[in-house]
Amino acid sequence: MATRRDFLKSSTLLGFGGSVPAFLGTTALAAPASSKAGAKDTILVVVQLTGGNDGLNTVIPFKNELYAKYRPTIAVPKDKVFGVNAEVGLHPSMAPLGQLLNEQSAACIVQGVGYPNPDQSHFRSMDIWQAASTDATLTEGWLGKAMKAKPVPAFHLAADNEIAPLALNGAPARVPSVAKLEDFQLKIGGASGKDKSDQKTVIEAVTKGEMTTEGQPKLLDFVRRTAINTYESTDRLREIGKNYEPKVPYPASAFANRLKLAAQLIDAGIGARLFYVSLDGFDTHAGQGGAAGNHANLLATVAGGISAFYRDLSARGHGDRVCVMTFSEFGRRAKENGSNGTDHGSGAPMFLVGGKVKAGVVGDHPSLEKLADGNLVHSTDFRQIYAAVLEKWLGVDPKPILGEKFKPLDVFKA
Amino acid sequence: MANDITTAWQAYTPTADNPWDAKKVGHLYRRAGFGASSAELDAGVKDGPEVTLDRMLNGGPADADFEQSSEFMASERSLPAGTPAVQLAAWWLYRMLRTPHPLREKLSLFWHNHFATSIVKVQNARYMLGQYRLVHRHALGNFRNLLQEMTLDPAMLIWLDAKESKRGKPNENYARELMELFTLGIGNYTEKDIREAAKAFTGYGIKQGKATFVEKEHDAGPKTVLGKTGDFAAKDVVDICLAQKACPRFLVTKLYHFLFSDAETPKAEFLQPLVRQYAESDFDTGKLVATMLRSDHFFSASVYRAKVKSPVEFAVGIVRVLEGNVGPLSLANSLEALGQVLFAPPSVKGWDGGPAWLNGQTLLFRQNLALALTSTEDARFGRRCDPAAVLSRYDRRTDEAAIAFFLRVFLQDDVSAEAREQLAGYANKSKATKYPPFWSADDVTKHRLRTLAHLTLTLPEFQLN
Repeated sequence: MATRRDFLKSSTLLGFGGSVPAFLGTTALAAPASSKAGAKDTILVVVQLTGGNDGLNTVIPFKNELYAKYRPTIAVPKDKVFGVNAEVGLHPSMAPLGQLLNEQSAACIVQGVGYPNPDQSHFRSMDIWQAASTDATLTEGWLGKAMKAKPVPAFHLAADNEIAPLALNGAPARVPSVAKLEDFQLKIGGASGKDKSDQKTVIEAVTKGEMTTEGQPKLLDFVRRTAINTYESTDRLREIGKNYEPKVPYPASAFANRLKLAAQLIDAGIGARLFYVSLDGFDTHAGQGGAAGNHANLLATVAGGISAFYRDLSARGHGDRVCVMTFSEFGRRAKENGSNGTDHGSGAPMFLVGGKVKAGVVGDHPSLEKLADGNLVHSTDFRQIYAAVLEKWLGVDPKPILGEKFKPLDVFKA
Repeated sequence: MANDITTAWQAYTPTADNPWDAKKVGHLYRRAGFGASSAELDAGVKDGPEVTLDRMLNGGPADADFEQSSEFMASERSLPAGTPAVQLAAWWLYRMLRTPHPLREKLSLFWHNHFATSIVKVQNARYMLGQYRLVHRHALGNFRNLLQEMTLDPAMLIWLDAKESKRGKPNENYARELMELFTLGIGNYTEKDIREAAKAFTGYGIKQGKATFVEKEHDAGPKTVLGKTGDFAAKDVVDICLAQKACPRFLVTKLYHFLFSDAETPKAEFLQPLVRQYAESDFDTGKLVATMLRSDHFFSASVYRAKVKSPVEFAVGIVRVLEGNVGPLSLANSLEALGQVLFAPPSVKGWDGGPAWLNGQTLLFRQNLALALTSTEDARFGRRCDPAAVLSRYDRRTDEAAIAFFLRVFLQDDVSAEAREQLAGYANKSKATKYPPFWSADDVTKHRLRTLAHLTLTLPEFQLN
């Protein structure tokens, strides 16, 4: 296995000066010796559930009769719910996270999260969550802004077809999207080693070349920066995480594989501290299913992946360094629709997983009696959780990012 | 002044300062189509703007062989309902590579992205093909007709759940996206409009591959949508949306981003002449596109290279320019890693496009695809797109002639002196390289020429459209 030291030794990183790819540049400076306190630097993994996760079938108020009444075909039967306390329980597919809570005190469930005047467009609401703002025009993400204040190395672990999220926009350097480390290389068709290096020299030189006079220099600049950043990191990334042996088996899903990739990068000790992973498919307008079915399978993918990831890292001694946070752009309508599914809604739960999160349930389940336009009403603003993550976990002042209004919610152990 | 509102949309006429040249022909072919071959560039420069624009807007002479083989490949036997996305995408790529009317395919791509229906949910290649034919038929036609037919298109009925929507239990998905993404844009309707409109879309289903209307499942009662009240059915709500002031503006702005620039949206008054024309012509898309492409603004510096190539533009562009004959299935397969599978856009919003196409990963995959296409050593493409063969077809025998040729066809010579020197430097250095002893002199020459093509494609400028 390549160690951090090998990695730094094999690179000529510190000789690159101004053109150092930023996420590796800061790494070289930031990677502390393991004996120093900085080696315990916290890690945030954001898990985005795309499409609007049905919160009411994720954290279930099984005692409330309205629940079954609202959802004649998709309610999870009481005896199938994974009990958390006297009032609420988890969907059976979420049991792996329930077990993390019971056995390791490593899960926190925040109920009824949302924002005022919820927007029910997928895209607008997703932008609001990713930018942590309801301004009309949103161009920078909350994590991008956090990286401006504290430029930590970050990775977007991408699925095929997936573009970098708005949440990471605004960072000092474009956060690289990576799907597979072994694919992350520039292929060159050289006839010999010398021919290859001659070609690589040309490719790198033309990337850095002078500006042409016409057209859109900004866009060309953007291409150049992306290319410089990429070429200089490829060789090094390939060395990372070779021969990685997980301490616990990961489920066979693309989502779990992306989390495993995060574990590889964390274990390689290159100082990466921010990861962004998405899972799509939560827009369950029709044929959603109850205890089993479409939505159940999605939740099983989420819970199985996160649980394996946490247990793997925990076995490597990183359990207290990592915090996984899930969110979705909105929850879904309290009552099911005529297609055995649910339409776009609002307030929904978030999950935090890690050795240092406050174990248990935070906040009350949204009322099933008092709905707003048929939707669950939020009690906690999502920016209060962001504030906690920024201030208590990443050590970044949340005020310039979120404004003055949002007090950190108590979601971490003292 | 090309960016002056009073003249921006007038027809471009060449001047001494702003002459008609290969750069403009290349620009037109990239935006309105998928790039120009060397012969097309030469013809465009020689024929002048009027003839070249007519050719682009009307398409070349119909090609019966092409349409026949396209039809044959689209038959139910060749593309049954269970065909995966990539095979369907290959069929469309074949059309993009061979069509005598690139603009129609390009606008079909625009509408495909606008209605952004994915086979991943529709799960029926025949329906997807049907939707392609619908957008292709109306690509340069009337948007009202396109939208009315789209509302009852089987793939769309599945994609946005209208098929499931019944009286008393309306599904809001189609009503929402009709307003948010197809006609008006956010801020021009309310949640209440959506809930009311959803009632009008109840009762539609699919029977034997065609839309049906089941009266007893339709909510025939009164609805209030965007200030109008009546016992509306689907068609009425679509017409109400089209009658909104926001609608032509929304569509013109989106088309502007597609044809002109990824960058910021121009001011409302700048687009106003186009918006007025589109509204007054009752959504004549062909007429709108003609005004846009003929305009002074289209050929201005602020629009030149103001877009990032989409993966399809990138790949099809290379093959068209090199006059290659690659298997479209191999090409379709390789586009997946670049982030664009035709018939499978990532969400209802379509592909984000612009700078979002490029990140570390996709840029590497683009460069690697450029190598695979030009090296002749990749099993997927073999020698079917050989830069050395194109050079000999055009009788370019020397290194200098080869560099000049590639820079002209791919970038119309608009590159820095540094890039030119680097390419010449490689040509020079590679003479001294020790090649494997079993390579013939011809092998060595061709390898060097193909490498020059690949290196040209790695220039950052080539990522821009």
